[in-house]
Amino acid sequence: MKTEESEYSRSSSVPQPVSGGLPLSVIVSTRNSKSTLRQVLAAIRVSEQPRDSYEIIVVDDASSDGSVAIAARYADTVVKLTGHPAGPAYARNRGVELARGAVVAFVDGDVVVRPDTLPRLLAVLRERPEIDAVSASRDESAGAPNFISQYWNLLLSFGEQRHSGRCAQFAPGCGLVRRDAFLSAGMYDEWRFDTGSMESIELGERLLGAGHGVILSSELTVTHLKRWSFGSVCQEVWHRSRVLARSLGYFRMSAAAPGEVVFTLCRSLIPAVALLGTLLLAAAFVPAPHPSAKFGVALAAMLLTNLPVHRFYASTRGFWFAILAAPLHVFVQIVAAMALCTGWILRDVFGDVSPDATTQAYSEVGLEIWPPVPRRL
Amino acid sequence: MVRAGVDGILYQDSLSSLTVVSERESQQSGVTQRDGFAATQTPPSRYSGARRTPRKSFIVVLPENHVVSADLVAERLSGERDNGEVDVILACAGQPSSIALLQRKVRDLQILLAPAGTSGEDLRELAMNQAPGDIVTLLSGTPA
Repeated sequence: MKTEESEYSRSSSVPQPVSGGLPLSVIVSTRNSKSTLRQVLAAIRVSEQPRDSYEIIVVDDASSDGSVAIAARYADTVVKLTGHPAGPAYARNRGVELARGAVVAFVDGDVVVRPDTLPRLLAVLRERPEIDAVSASRDESAGAPNFISQYWNLLLSFGEQRHSGRCAQFAPGCGLVRRDAFLSAGMYDEWRFDTGSMESIELGERLLGAGHGVILSSELTVTHLKRWSFGSVCQEVWHRSRVLARSLGYFRMSAAAPGEVVFTLCRSLIPAVALLGTLLLAAAFVPAPHPSAKFGVALAAMLLTNLPVHRFYASTRGFWFAILAAPLHVFVQIVAAMALCTGWILRDVFGDVSPDATTQAYSEVGLEIWPPVPRRL
Repeated sequence: MVRAGVDGILYQDSLSSLTVVSERESQQSGVTQRDGFAATQTPPSRYSGARRTPRKSFIVVLPENHVVSADLVAERLSGERDNGEVDVILACAGQPSSIALLQRKVRDLQILLAPAGTSGEDLRELAMNQAPGDIVTLLSGTPA
């Protein structure tokens, strides 16, 4: 059993690997996930993985909805973070500091694994020593039945399925990584990523850069239960795109993690804009067409360049779903493009993101407190 | 004595008196007692009232009609108790008859008594509501 000193000695940059532990530690980071957490943890408990071969650590990121009580019903260890939320990267790092497993599995508080997901992911790491991180992609059946959730889940699934295999796409929903590789790569970047969504891709890219193998499995899938609304999807797209442009680098990440949803949105936007520009330029040399004709041309250009996505929607949910999704998709693309531009401007004017002044000051003096000050990579 | 959620009764086994979790401890852990019920308050800042190291709690769950394995629990706790303050809560249902040995081995053991028929999961949840630790480890009080 580890001691308190070894777990939380902040003088060393990362916790030291432990020996004689379990094969697997499942770390569930959660924040206000009461509505889904019970289902998530119950699914882990009925996994085909033998119960004595893994531990469940739930890290609660300052929830206010009683998620901790739900966690207590299923978990072996519950970590209660207080104060304002620090983000999933910070929460998962706290979980790893307590983990006894040689392999660490990250499962989000709204992701349901299948009974064979964990043992099969673990088998990949066991059978392929050159692979250090493997994650499951999302399936096509979103847990929430509303149209927006279905649209968004399918869009994410589209990118993950088309670009699965060896890439930096370490899916945050359910991913396994060897603990030693995770520690040697510097853990999650809790300094820059105080909100969710892009921290796992950044970790995947860092793992790849350090020579570790990272793969995204298209065969092993998990179900995401989160309910999305129009506003939350736009917010998510805005956040992902802005972080991508400001902190990660669009072109570098497009090569490392081509399945990221921002690239799915923007990859087709660039030829659409080019095609539209060409058509409008050509229109200058012919008699002025009716405004509806111009609109039709613009719409046709967008639909044409997004054809693979719309075909995917039609094949999975039917023709009318694809028709309904088309205008929403165009709007989301415009949000992504605007956020990318905003991110580039912010990067040039203010530089990369950093925590608030208090956190920076505490970090500077090396203050040892609980919850710990976010660690700089 | 303090009510633990709706069904449990928590007392601390020190100096053979029934002792509630003190007001000071409650404030440290962010738990306040209001009308006999526990309520959690979120501090305004991540660092307000921060400690140097996390406070640890252990919850030992003893289902009804089971005998607690005092040696097993004591062994699991031995390494942790050497490293500072650790709260230990034994959550049990009904009238446990075999906890005297554990009480001798674990000082300041807090015992959460829930009505007969309370399930293991409910015991865990009740005990969690009373655990003041930042890191709470849940153990089975019986051998696997």
